[in-house]
Amino acid sequence: MSGVRAVRISIESACEKQVQEVGLDGTETYLQPLSMSQNLARLAQRIDFSQGSGSEEEEAAGAEGDAQDWAGAGSGGDQDDEEGLVKFQPSLWPWDSVRNNLRSALTEMCVLYDVLSIVRDKKFMTLDPVSQDALPPKQNPQTLQLISKKKSLAGAAQILLKGAERLTKSVTENQENKLQRDFNSELLRLRQHWKLRKVGDKILGDLSYRSAGSLFPHHGTFEVIKNTDIDLDKKIPEDYCPLDVQIPSDLEGSAYIKVSIQKQAPDIGDLGTVNLFKRPLPKSKPGSPHWQTKLEAAQNVLLCKEIFAQLSREAVQIKSQIPHIVVKNQIISQPFPNLQLSISLCHSSNDKKSLKSATEKQSPEDHLYVLEHNLHLLIREFHKQTLSSIMMPHPASAPFGHKRMRLAGPQAFDKNEINSLQSSEGLLEKIIKQAKHIFLRSRTAATIDSLASRIEDPQIQAHWSNINDVYESSVKVLITSQGYEQICKSIQLQLNIGIEQIRVVHRDGRVITLSHQEQELQDFLLSQMSQHQVHAVQQLAKVMGWQVLSFSNHVGLGPIESIGNASAITVASPNGDYAISVRNGPESGSKILVQFPRNQCKDLPKSDVLQDSKWNHLRGPFKEVQWNKMEGRNFVYKMELLMSALSPCLL
Amino acid sequence: MGVTCVSQMPVAEGKSVQQTVELLTRKLEMLGAEKQGTFCVDCETYHTAASTLGSQGQPGKLMYVMHNSEYPLSCFALFENGPCLIADTNFDVLMVKLKGFFQSAKASKIETRGTRYQYCDFLVKVGTVTMGPSARGISVEVEYGPCVVASDCWSLLLEFLQNFLGTHTPGAPTVFGNRHDAVYGPADTMVQYMELFNKIRKQQQVPVAGIR
Repeated sequence: MSGVRAVRISIESACEKQVQEVGLDGTETYLQPLSMSQNLARLAQRIDFSQGSGSEEEEAAGAEGDAQDWAGAGSGGDQDDEEGLVKFQPSLWPWDSVRNNLRSALTEMCVLYDVLSIVRDKKFMTLDPVSQDALPPKQNPQTLQLISKKKSLAGAAQILLKGAERLTKSVTENQENKLQRDFNSELLRLRQHWKLRKVGDKILGDLSYRSAGSLFPHHGTFEVIKNTDIDLDKKIPEDYCPLDVQIPSDLEGSAYIKVSIQKQAPDIGDLGTVNLFKRPLPKSKPGSPHWQTKLEAAQNVLLCKEIFAQLSREAVQIKSQIPHIVVKNQIISQPFPNLQLSISLCHSSNDKKSLKSATEKQSPEDHLYVLEHNLHLLIREFHKQTLSSIMMPHPASAPFGHKRMRLAGPQAFDKNEINSLQSSEGLLEKIIKQAKHIFLRSRTAATIDSLASRIEDPQIQAHWSNINDVYESSVKVLITSQGYEQICKSIQLQLNIGIEQIRVVHRDGRVITLSHQEQELQDFLLSQMSQHQVHAVQQLAKVMGWQVLSFSNHVGLGPIESIGNASAITVASPNGDYAISVRNGPESGSKILVQFPRNQCKDLPKSDVLQDSKWNHLRGPFKEVQWNKMEGRNFVYKMELLMSALSPCLL
Repeated sequence: MGVTCVSQMPVAEGKSVQQTVELLTRKLEMLGAEKQGTFCVDCETYHTAASTLGSQGQPGKLMYVMHNSEYPLSCFALFENGPCLIADTNFDVLMVKLKGFFQSAKASKIETRGTRYQYCDFLVKVGTVTMGPSARGISVEVEYGPCVVASDCWSLLLEFLQNFLGTHTPGAPTVFGNRHDAVYGPADTMVQYMELFNKIRKQQQVPVAGIR
């Protein structure tokens, strides 16, 4: 017992106190609970003593003054007592109304008693009846009431009218304001979206992306001007805006970056001008556009210019095997032989000359919108990088630079990790890589599609993955025979399309790397298809109960194929009488031979050596099947028919 | 980042340090290792200043400030058997400010320099340990890149070392035993270098005493 320390338990009554208020810090201020007498007083206070004695009230009010006087004169000593009572027993106060009423009643009674006693003596006072002609003055107050009511109503009506007038005025004013917007309110709205500063008596704004991390040297300022050239007498046009912006002349109009891939090089003479002003301008509304749209367009022009400037700078700096060409507003690069990627800046201002050229005949659009979008993304990323390198807050002792770079020291990054941090590929390199990938992907798709449409047996299925990286995508290619999808599943290829090459992953894990040339892929797929046929025969033999005597994917005998190797298989019927030999090459096609038992060959010359009849069970020579005359819709079906024809009848 | 083993290669009999190093590098080149520039690890000793020592007369701890060219942005500060601090290279400047607490031991700078070889997954660095103007010994560092748990790849490392160093193959470094199954880090490499330098320092003191 003594070892255990006593546990303190504090008992507290449930909170009966009323909460007066709860402070902001959560403390509660309680009301002190009422004492018994206070409680009684509180209850008594609720009783309305004046109720039910309404008729006496008027008289009581009149007598009250007297009563108080009387009380003051009559009980001066009492008052002291009472004051004492008030001090120490405030609970007496609630009975005050009762006391007052009683006292006034007493006073009245006293007065009445005095009057009556004096009247009874008939010495000083007599009672006389009052004359009854008090009717006309009784009507008077009614008319007076009517007049006063009328007057007050009229006053009220006037106030209401005034208010209504004011309201209508303000409504019309509002409408006017809507038409004729206030310059200052417009300026306020402008200020919410754009950076403005005051220089001298001008208001200048900033269009550039410098605050977002851009390093483009264009100043990108615009000027805010007050639009005053409007005739106030005439009707104000609806889109009138008192605020206008003046944009630098080189940022006017609209611009976009155009990325396209062309198969062959155009004439040198066309360079730089072909792609100008191709897109028809969106029809501008009559009148000047709103400042917001104007500024947004100008900012877009600025960004496009920045992208193009960055690209052309890189194009000149980067050494590549085939140098990038920068001509006028176009950058031309050759990602693959006979293929050119052109990135051009199309900037059309609103003047008449450009409008005229815009109406020229248009060639079919060959935009690569994905790349155009990616260019914008890349430049933003670039901006973000420059912004984050000077990001605050920053440890005072750490070197300036990217956060990962800052951690490289304390986390002991080795050379490779530091190199990976510093790898800064340019915009152009990235976009060329993306373009290469996009081109390779579309070319692969085209190759597979053309093969699939050209060759019906076997069939090619391509399943493209929906989600791709910008530099890599994959497709799954299945080669099947119609009607035999379940048994012939031997060829499943996974094609990983990269930037310059295609990696083919075979079902058994073999990896083959193909270059960007489409012929390689085509040849590969053709050889796979020819192998598929032989695989299919093998599978079919299993199902039909035939025995596989020999199987080879790459036969070393026979005519040499220009693509890949021929494959061959020999299967024997369940009882061993017949054998079918199939040789299938990607180029030479299929050749099917059937071997008969010796006794079924009539044209076989009688041999002197094999006299005994048992030798008749030896297999005889091969005979070629005229495959194109066989019935059946495809190779495997024909083979199935052939096999079943050669199988012994089970009945 | 892999597991590293640092060891000392004794100088072959009848040959100079330089010749032994050449012998080793030639062996590596014969194996087919690729030369990848040079490397350098240096170490400077600081002892706690007298003013800050306790009155009990306890000996001042030694602190080693090391750099490794493999981690070019880092600076390592180690106590013997103590913690290892990894900082960025500004730490050197900080040490100058801390003169009152840590004083640089005179002529204590010891370093190893040599060539860096890449052989498949192994990174081999053969260096000459120098203290002042004279060469004191040979350091051999072998790093196996794909693994970060020392106990998992020690036998592989050992096999490679046996192949390469022959009879002079070292035992498992003590840092491997300290943290079983733990992830190997750059600090562990530096601890090994520190131990190697200390060993070489003691070795060279003996002959000097003998001469006297």
